[in-house]
Amino acid sequence: MGSSAGSAAPAVVKPKIKQGVAPLRAGEGHSFLLRRLHSLTGIVPVGLFLIEHFISNAFAVNGPAAYTKQVEFLTSFPFVVALELFGIWLPILFHSLYGFYIWYRGDSNIGEYPWTGNWMYAAQRWTGAIAFFYMGWHTWHIRFTGVHILSHPASAFGKVQLEFQNTWVAMFYLVGIIAASWHFAYGLWLFAAKWGIVTGDRARRRFGYVCVIIAVVFIAVGMATMRSFFHWPLHPVNGGSS
Amino acid sequence: MADNKTVIIKIKRQANPDSKAYWEEFELPQTPGRNVTSALMEIAVNPVTRDGKKTTPITYDANCLEEVCGSCAMLVNGKARMACSALLEKLDHPVKLEPFSKFPVVRDLAVDRSVLFEDLKRVKAWVPIDGTYDLGPGPRVTMQEQEVAYPLSRCISCCCCMEACPQFNESTDFVGAAAISQVRLFNTHPTGKALKRERLAALMGDGGIQECGYAQNCVEICPKDIPLTRSISEVGREVMKQAIGDLFRR
Ligand code: HEM
Ligand code: SF4
Ligand code: SF4
Ligand code: FES
Repeated sequence: MGSSAGSAAPAVVKPKIKQGVAPLRAGEGHSFLLRRLHSLTGIVPVGLFLIEHFISNAFAVNGPAAYTKQVEFLTSFPFVVALELFGIWLPILFHSLYGFYIWYRGDSNIGEYPWTGNWMYAAQRWTGAIAFFYMGWHTWHIRFTGVHILSHPASAFGKVQLEFQNTWVAMFYLVGIIAASWHFAYGLWLFAAKWGIVTGDRARRRFGYVCVIIAVVFIAVGMATMRSFFHWPLHPVNGGSS
Repeated sequence: MADNKTVIIKIKRQANPDSKAYWEEFELPQTPGRNVTSALMEIAVNPVTRDGKKTTPITYDANCLEEVCGSCAMLVNGKARMACSALLEKLDHPVKLEPFSKFPVVRDLAVDRSVLFEDLKRVKAWVPIDGTYDLGPGPRVTMQEQEVAYPLSRCISCCCCMEACPQFNESTDFVGAAAISQVRLFNTHPTGKALKRERLAALMGDGGIQECGYAQNCVEICPKDIPLTRSISEVGREVMKQAIGDLFRR
């Protein structure tokens, strides 16, 4: 066959043949380590921090004095900033950014396959995203703007109360609490299933109920905590902005 | 001819791997008990579309017609399933047939599913008994082991579990549930066990078991009711045991 160079016929551009999904790359890459690290950071330390955070805030139920004492206790830790940075912020940042990357690479298909597990798969992504934006906003407001709580623990209670004066802000807290609670509780279930801690079909179903209860308890504790900030009279905020 | 009800079948066609897809509609008399594959056979006898245009017979895969060979998988009304066990009278009408969306189309409804065969080779899904001399009788497989192994051995390599999996795509290049389940099958086999370490190591490579997001579509869709999520959890455990053990032992 001769070359068609110079002929008048237009070159036929064939669409690229779809290659399909590539076979397993046995023994290659680091995605196993990164994915399992993502899984693990969801529990330790991020999940542990979430538990601590819900418990600490629940001291608000006992009023401003008890709340202040708990804040003082937390701020009294040695190396607070390093603990926060390496124990909380960086792990959350890794889990979140890698979480978005995992989300981006999956193709949710609840339209075609509207089954419970598939819905939960989608919900794990959406609740993660809600928790992400909530946490960013929440941290900015409570930790990095206004009264500096680390140096003025007694102002913490009042600071949250002032936040809640705006109904939309209070609503966002509620949404954030529900999203984080669900994400963590279902995350426990996912972790147990993927790491082979709970393997049998019946055991997995039973542990599923346990995780729903965990989610409900978290949401209830969060709501009770929120209620107490409304319930107690406005607590003075002093110390000014620093 | 007292009853002349008909069924309308819309088929997504494609002449060859690199041409554009198009739809054609066919109308067939309703026959009790007819399945999608036999409807495709009927169309082949007289390939004329609903609006009277003469066309080519539909290309599709099928062989056993009893859901054991695994060749006839396609999207029926958008869902992955075996055409030979999809009865027209039990489907929503008009019936929509499409080739699998995550596998390269060969022609019409026939797709290239060789990736699963390739994956099975990479996880060494076999019992190693090759040798130059007689190895003698194999070890006994207990009743309990058989009860675990038998359901797993029913996999017909249809790839429905992969098509329906949200994580199986060209971005993750995930291996999918079928190969993971076969790793469990061959790792439970007393002779197959010899390759256990290599199989688990293979599943830790890129596209391995870690990509599973546990959406559980695989176990819902599997036409052979294979306990795929159970397999993913069991193999997940073995993989973690090996990975963590190796941190200390290697
Ligand atoms: C409140 C803080 C958070 C906690 C306690 C948490 C906890 C967890 C846990 C325990 C898991 C289960 C592990 C697994 O499925 O492998 C998980 C999964 C996941 N998380 Fe988070 N997470 C948090 C925030 C986030 C954020 C901000 C994102 C960002 C989108 C995110 C995205 C994901 C995704 C996509 C998964 C599913 C991974 C998969 O299906 O393979 N998470 N999370
Ligand atoms: S559990 Fe979900 S993500 Fe995992 S293989 Fe099955 S369908 Fe895919
Ligand atoms: S595991 Fe089930 S759905 Fe997947 S290939 Fe085998 S038979 Fe088909
Ligand atoms: S023709 Fe064999 S499974 Fe359908």
